[in-house]
Amino acid sequence: MEELILQLKKQIIEVLNLEDVHPEDIDENAPLFGNEGLGLDSIDALELIVLMEKNYGIRLQDPNQGKEIFKSVAVMADYISKNRTK
Amino acid sequence: MNNILITGAGIVSAIGVGKEETLRSLLEQRSGIRPVHYLKTDHHEFPVGEVQLSNDEMCALLGIDPQAQPTTRTALMGMVALKEALEQSGLTSDMYPSIPLISGTTVGGMDKSEQYYMDFLENDSRNEYIRTHDCGACTEMMADHFGRFRMLTTLSTACSSAANAVITGAELIRAGQADCVVVGGTEGITKFHLNGFASLMILDKDPCRPFDALRAGLNLGEGAAWLVLETEEHARRRGVKPLMRLAGYGNACDAFHQTATSADGEGPYRAMKQALESAGIAPGQVDYINTHGTGTGNNDLTESVAMRRLFGDQVPPFSSTKAFTGHTTSASGTIEAVICMLAMQHGFLPINLRFKDAGEGLTPVHEPTQKALRYVLSNAFGFGGNDSALLFEQIENEKLKIENLQPQRVYLLSAAQISAQEPLCDDWKDNPIHLTEPLTRSREADYKQFIPPLEARRMGRILKRAIATACTAMNDAGVGTPEAIITGTGLGCIENTEIFLDALCRQGEDQMMPTRFMSSTHNTMSSIVAINLHANGYNATYAHNTVSFQSALMDALLQLRRGAVHNAMVCAHDEMTPSYHALLCKGGYLKGKRAAECAVSMMLATGNNGRAICEVAGMRMLYRPTEAEKQQALDELCGGGADIVDGYPDLFGVNYTTPALDLYAAAHLMGDRPVVVRYCDENHYSLILLKPCGDC
Repeated sequence: MEELILQLKKQIIEVLNLEDVHPEDIDENAPLFGNEGLGLDSIDALELIVLMEKNYGIRLQDPNQGKEIFKSVAVMADYISKNRTK
Repeated sequence: MNNILITGAGIVSAIGVGKEETLRSLLEQRSGIRPVHYLKTDHHEFPVGEVQLSNDEMCALLGIDPQAQPTTRTALMGMVALKEALEQSGLTSDMYPSIPLISGTTVGGMDKSEQYYMDFLENDSRNEYIRTHDCGACTEMMADHFGRFRMLTTLSTACSSAANAVITGAELIRAGQADCVVVGGTEGITKFHLNGFASLMILDKDPCRPFDALRAGLNLGEGAAWLVLETEEHARRRGVKPLMRLAGYGNACDAFHQTATSADGEGPYRAMKQALESAGIAPGQVDYINTHGTGTGNNDLTESVAMRRLFGDQVPPFSSTKAFTGHTTSASGTIEAVICMLAMQHGFLPINLRFKDAGEGLTPVHEPTQKALRYVLSNAFGFGGNDSALLFEQIENEKLKIENLQPQRVYLLSAAQISAQEPLCDDWKDNPIHLTEPLTRSREADYKQFIPPLEARRMGRILKRAIATACTAMNDAGVGTPEAIITGTGLGCIENTEIFLDALCRQGEDQMMPTRFMSSTHNTMSSIVAINLHANGYNATYAHNTVSFQSALMDALLQLRRGAVHNAMVCAHDEMTPSYHALLCKGGYLKGKRAAECAVSMMLATGNNGRAICEVAGMRMLYRPTEAEKQQALDELCGGGADIVDGYPDLFGVNYTTPALDLYAAAHLMGDRPVVVRYCDENHYSLILLKPCGDC
């Protein structure tokens, strides 16, 4: 799980082009969206959906599902580990 | 405002070719939403509203030999609708040279660009389609089919493009610069924006259900519609019967987010409010609203909030006809204007198909209803928060309204640029660099003081330059937040557009990245600047190749001179990627000229606060003019009492909007004599008169 969390942080930084952010700057339990934590928005959620499909073969049909899954890096990693097809 | 009449209308959409078929579909509740057929896409899961004609069938209708000339679906649909409008108005081709034609589109020639992209890169078989990509080329193709119009320009404000074309046309009439204008919009469905909307996850897999509690997104549609606008006197002189009156209009910016709408509906609210105020009517007088009503959760909620803000608990009957046509994006403004006209002429409320349950929302018209309509409001909102509303009035109430205006003088207060000349300051005047490379790309903007990292990460170079120059120009002008932001751009964010197109063509229609699509619309610069400066006022973008900037300036002068705004920011932005540059060279369009990038923001105002660089005293724009017409325009503008400057291609290179840099340089270099900045190519001719401030 540790490894997946680190990998996920790197992928998030790359896909969302988070300038000057390093994996160690991201608290895996902090919220990704909203004013606390990383402060991502709805477009980032869509990019994360593409990330999940490309890298882990998980296809979300409804953007609203993302609200639960993308709560934090840790929640995301947990969902991926249970549902990944690649 | 003046009495502006509509004397011709043409329409083509998924529910019919022409007004008669459209009317029948509306009355018989026949939706045009069907499985995809004409577009060659893998996305069969999304129903669409396609015009039920192939390109070849449209060519046959128009008498065009598809082998003899390049055509695009967007232009062909535009021509079909334009033909109907021109024929109904009774205008003849001998009158066109005195009539401006203004279109709205975002897709332009993308249908062919995506089809031939790999050919562009690998061989010479489709080079003639490199030129048909841009929005202006689409407008020229349509207009040229019928004759030579006085001037052409193209609005590109995403889904409000056609509505804004109507507004610009009306402004030309109000300013007395035209008695008659032809305005409209056209948009074909492409894989590019179908995949883009799919990446934003806002497409419904079922026929859309605007305003329904269970709505799940929009269906893309396509089509075109045109209106002929003219003054009452002009119509009377020609002996034509008016169809309806353009009673008012509003344009505002939500200034909230590139793709999402604000929770309080500020942009939509302001646009509708302005439309009513410009007509001088009370909210209670509106008999029907044709909403933007896309069917997405976000739009319909925000639009409902805005309607409640403006109309209280007396929201007039409203519906979204996108359940019939699909979302015809850039063309929706005029398509829905024609639908409003049909409703008015035949006294009925267009039904909101497939509506079942409002939940906690507002309830649209969902049963066939006959009703006499006097005032009808039509909304068109676009990505980037470009929100517009048009108000139409039944023609029976004849009354003459005359605007008596003392045109205001307009001053250039500040200008900031990032160009091939380094640095941003005045150094280029003393130590100019003469460009020698075929392509010079500008430096990265110093954006960090203006843009927080979280926002900057999604912005391409062109957007960072847009914000950096806009902030600098605003600060230098000392008149606060701009009341209007108007941008000219030939190609918009071409770097992002290219990346998205390249992925689409090489990797297929899967897993497209929404961020790339989001900034591919031409209005991204104007809207990002508006968000950054919190500017909720007038907002527009012109994308008509080499006259994109001149069109933006023209619009600013119209707004300023009639006192609609006291200051306006005019911007000109184009980037150039090495790959796009290679295509332009291959197509033979640069003819050995040195290409460069362009970023200019300038503040204009109707008062000189002591910072004025010069007066912008007037301008002319002509399409393929004769020598006599060129001379006449020059004489009218300055009577020979000005020096003529033909630009500085050695210093700034060429790109679609480098005429803005020509103006920038001329304003800074001028002495005590007026200067005319002239631009001339095989299609377009423009003159801008600058007067030194000694005369101000």
